[in-house]
Amino acid sequence: MPPSNPAAYGTAVTKPHDFDAFWADILAQAATIPLNATFTPAPMRSTPQVEVFEVHYDSLDGVRIAGWYCLPRHRPAPLPAMVFYPGYISEPTLPKAYAQRGYACFGVAPRGKLRSNGQYNPGYPGLLTHNITDRFTYGYRGFYVDAWRVIDILANRPEVDATRIGVQGGSQGGALTLLAAAMCPQVAAGSAGAPYLAGMIDAIQLTHSYPYEEINEYLHLHPQARDAVTETLAYYDVHNFVDRIRCPMIVNIGLNDDVCPPETGYAVFERIGSADKQLYAYAGHGHDSNSYVHGAIVNRFFDERLAPQPVAA
Amino acid sequence: MTTTTTSGTTTSPAQTAPADFAEYWAAAMDELAALPIAAELTYNALRSNEQATVYDLRLTSIGPYRIFAFLSIPTGSGPFPALVQTGGYGSVVHLGSFEEKQRYVTLALRHRGRRLADQPFAAAYPGLLTTGIADPMTYIYRGIVADCCRAVDFVLSRAEVAADKVAVVGDDLALLTAALRPQVDALYTTPALFYDAAQIAPRTSAYPLEEFNDFARAEPDQAAAMGQTLAYFNPRFHAPQVQAETMLVTGSAPDLFSPAVLAPLVAAFPKPPTTYETAHSSYKDGVNQATWLANRYGFGAPILPPHWQ
Repeated sequence: MPPSNPAAYGTAVTKPHDFDAFWADILAQAATIPLNATFTPAPMRSTPQVEVFEVHYDSLDGVRIAGWYCLPRHRPAPLPAMVFYPGYISEPTLPKAYAQRGYACFGVAPRGKLRSNGQYNPGYPGLLTHNITDRFTYGYRGFYVDAWRVIDILANRPEVDATRIGVQGGSQGGALTLLAAAMCPQVAAGSAGAPYLAGMIDAIQLTHSYPYEEINEYLHLHPQARDAVTETLAYYDVHNFVDRIRCPMIVNIGLNDDVCPPETGYAVFERIGSADKQLYAYAGHGHDSNSYVHGAIVNRFFDERLAPQPVAA
Repeated sequence: MTTTTTSGTTTSPAQTAPADFAEYWAAAMDELAALPIAAELTYNALRSNEQATVYDLRLTSIGPYRIFAFLSIPTGSGPFPALVQTGGYGSVVHLGSFEEKQRYVTLALRHRGRRLADQPFAAAYPGLLTTGIADPMTYIYRGIVADCCRAVDFVLSRAEVAADKVAVVGDDLALLTAALRPQVDALYTTPALFYDAAQIAPRTSAYPLEEFNDFARAEPDQAAAMGQTLAYFNPRFHAPQVQAETMLVTGSAPDLFSPAVLAPLVAAFPKPPTTYETAHSSYKDGVNQATWLANRYGFGAPILPPHWQ
């Protein structure tokens, strides 16, 4: 049985003393790599209302990353932008419908996702434990950077207002949303659903559902690696990033979530540094975190803060 | 008569089954039967535990094409009920859950194009849903449906499996599989792709159904051919062949696959399926599925994750 009061569970995550230096070094490495972003029209996916582009850009270790970029054809300039981060096993979003709401939309495929897996492909299951005993080569090292570099791309697009960039996603997408809001000051608002990669060492005690079960499986086979795994995860746990967040943020969780236990959702929300934050905890919901209903709250949240203008149909 | 929608595409009248529907599928199944399963099981130490032993499984399907699955077998003396999980629309299907693996032989299928079954054909998402769609003989889903049937053939061949307790779980693929494999005892299906697709896809701009709209816009001269191909995959024409006890999951009233929209599908089954309207809650929907299967196989209460209890 899970704890009776998930809000009071807390976390066993600790922050390494060299956490900031570790990530500063990785970002310095990334900064030496030009984005080399290309935008190729995708007529097959475009409509009379929305232009779709296939995007590619360079990231850490020279890995080429893919994404979808959608623009309303008849647009007032400049546009607010919205980044959609993908879940662990889901395919990256092609956010055509959202572009019609007046946003420049980017659906990113970090390394290992389809179309970004030519140079790095740990698979699913696989990514969560790929090189998990070494923080310098752990799979999420480049994956996080891939997600952050999307913000740099958007901030330099002539059709985008760099002061109005939003980020959103669920599960792993929720984790990347929190990470982008923490590490990219250009992010103006974020909405994270059922955030994953937060309180990882807590989660493996609370659930046997995938993807966290990958870590339990790894430790079952490699029990001697527990200390090394714990050490690596501390450098990547979303919990250790979110105190940097200063932009408005909303988070939704399901109190019956077996995938990303609500205990971890409460703990990471508590840690978010922004004063403008709100948690929506939904009883009777699992990993869906009531997105069916909560979607309207997300849309209103962004519309109020990023002020998209109506686009012609 | 056609109707123009807001997206600029047109809808066709509700389909009737192609005249050669039975022959089309009989030929595909004959093609499959002519090939050896050629099962190769490799012990997967990483995914195995005290409750279940997991194998990487490779099988041959039509093409010939080598497909992949994760197979888990509970610890203890069988035979066990089997869950064949055909998965949703995407490149990844997770292994059976920790809880399911304790009671069921689970087979999580990576059909052709999905990860681990992506050589030589790697599916694109979006893209898979319209690959080869202008001709029913080249449509990729002809092979994918065969892949699903091959998975059922495999579990039926295993001594660890109670051959009269084989369940298939998934979207339209699960339904088509149950129709083509009468040995399937239980079907838990959530239609999402092929049900009257030519009429329903133009009502949405959301993927994956938007793939059909993309194709119709990009290849207008082949849109009619797409509609004809889709008729071979319409669950409405497969449902009359389903002998399995069935739980059919519908959307709610505002949804694309609402109970009203799916009513003709429900009516097409020879025995009325039990219907369940989604609660839009992975918790409630998951409990429903686990409970239905546990009842079907005499387990009583299902084993549930702690947060579902």
